[in-house]
Amino acid sequence: MGRVIRNYEDGDDITPLVKKMTQEAINLFEGSSGHTGPSQFTDEAAAKEVLGTEGTLASGRMSLTFAIEMLRRHFGPEVFNHTGTVDLRFLRPVRPGDTVTFTGKVSGTTKEANGSRVSVDIEVTNQKGNTTGVGQGSAIVPNAFLPPEDL
Amino acid sequence: MAEAENKIELDWDALEVGETFEKFEYLLTQEMIDTYRKGVMDSEASFPTIAHKVDVRQYNDRYTDAGSVNARCAFHCYNPPTAGKKLIVTAWIADKYLRRGKNYIVTEAVSVDEDGKLIDRVITHELKQPSEVGKKWGG
Repeated sequence: MGRVIRNYEDGDDITPLVKKMTQEAINLFEGSSGHTGPSQFTDEAAAKEVLGTEGTLASGRMSLTFAIEMLRRHFGPEVFNHTGTVDLRFLRPVRPGDTVTFTGKVSGTTKEANGSRVSVDIEVTNQKGNTTGVGQGSAIVPNAFLPPEDL
Repeated sequence: MAEAENKIELDWDALEVGETFEKFEYLLTQEMIDTYRKGVMDSEASFPTIAHKVDVRQYNDRYTDAGSVNARCAFHCYNPPTAGKKLIVTAWIADKYLRRGKNYIVTEAVSVDEDGKLIDRVITHELKQPSEVGKKWGG
């Protein structure tokens, strides 16, 4: 099967990704490393003590993971899993029960030795329309994936 | 516990940028990967290492502090890790800074597997006054 030829234009939208955050999902994420003790993510009392919040919060690393998923789906795992980056700033807490939507827009393309780095601006919003995170992502798309006029 | 007794109370001013921690090793199991994928609701999620928080693990083993909040995190994908392989992590203090009177510590870590294959790099900016979250977003 031949490679998919794609154009990457500034301003192109990335297909959004929507995730419903639950305490069960948070517990699985936290527990997947073998860490089973109470934390600000899994235990309301710990969250109150450490953060001073009513209720637990999701780790920012879950948002990071979702942003990575959005870009992996866009660029394809064969590209993103080997050249992908995401850099996110966390602006508001994400709590169990929140629905978070990840959106992205291509913000530039620069030449690299083995392809072109396609950069994406990322924004994360919750169900209230509040921005919970912003950042950038990128992947190096091999020249074989680009139309000849873009090489 | 001896491990806790060996910890040092964080002195932010004295903390040296560039301090590199002892290498940390762990075995990545299929169960870890499956649990991670359920948690993030993505059957193809390829970097379960994110949930292991390896960049701050060594810091937390060495220092005690009031806790932290993740303010910013960057992740570089190189090669998805494989179940059944041991991962070796090198972590260090990459930076520290003051912003609006708040202390931040930046940790960085690179993971390779037992065959020497580069897996990922993670860089995290942690706010060391976690109660600021409750003050601003408490309810």
